[in-house]
Amino acid sequence: MAVERFVLMNAGPSQPRPATQHLRRNPPIAGEQEAIQRAQSGDSRAFETLYAMHKRRVYSLCLRMLGNVAEAEDLTQEAFLQLYRKIGTFRGDSAFSTWLHRLAVNVVLMHLRRKGLPQVSLEETLEPAQDDGPRKDIGARDLTLSGSIDRVTLERAIENLPPGYRLVFVLHDVEGYEHNEIAEMLDCSIGNSKSQLHKARMKLRDLLRTGQRKEQIA
Amino acid sequence: MIVLRAMDKIMTCAEFQEKLPELFESQADLGAQEHLKSCEMCAALVRDLEYIAAQARLLLPIHDPSPAVWEHIQQAIRRGDEPDVKSVSAGRK
Ligand SMILES: [Zn+2]
Repeated sequence: MAVERFVLMNAGPSQPRPATQHLRRNPPIAGEQEAIQRAQSGDSRAFETLYAMHKRRVYSLCLRMLGNVAEAEDLTQEAFLQLYRKIGTFRGDSAFSTWLHRLAVNVVLMHLRRKGLPQVSLEETLEPAQDDGPRKDIGARDLTLSGSIDRVTLERAIENLPPGYRLVFVLHDVEGYEHNEIAEMLDCSIGNSKSQLHKARMKLRDLLRTGQRKEQIA
Repeated sequence: MIVLRAMDKIMTCAEFQEKLPELFESQADLGAQEHLKSCEMCAALVRDLEYIAAQARLLLPIHDPSPAVWEHIQQAIRRGDEPDVKSVSAGRK
């Protein structure tokens, strides 16, 4: 299965990783190493400890990728059940959180493929570009966004992105994966990943500006 | 809009924006782009896109899953389920 393939590839030492971004977002956790070893020898309390350490990050990742609470909870469950079955194969070649997150990303992508939705296939023909011509409509006097967007507003705008854009945006800009990794995960070209990311940011800008304008009117 | 193809340093907004994804990815110094020096509209666009990417990097996990998720994981482990077939929402139905 594709999941196995991804996990095995991820375990290889030559696989490029978003080391800096990932470490910043996922600093080493005290006691994690010991919990991994105990869980690997079948200690179920240690597995619960690992769940407590990582549930928020894994769930947030699923939620941002899917934009749906019920599905995000299902897939968090599925990701940890896979972790339970596969933890013996974790060798420590990469940080545990990196390994676990990649596993969770693959669980989400498998789910989307199983649903047969076009959002995983990023071929541009499937998502007709709505309005990505040059922006002549925005006057220079119009406010720029800089400094004005809080976290909650940005989260809400990400939720409102079309699914294909959201996947690439979350994986690249939020989670810190590189385009070559995203291309491999989504089975698309690197150029495609780049262009989807750009469109996602453009769309976010539209969403955020529209939100600002509404706020000013209100 | 006047297209000055003869002067190859000067791009139209359309040409500049078409090149923009590439420019972002190449980590090039966008401030050095001639077009931006004379075009406030595209300069604002670039500032916004850079700002959005920078803010996204600062987003942190904020949500915990509901306690039901752990309960279902425990149940599935006890039953020895394959993880792919049961789910929280299936359990709710
Ligand atoms: Zn311009």
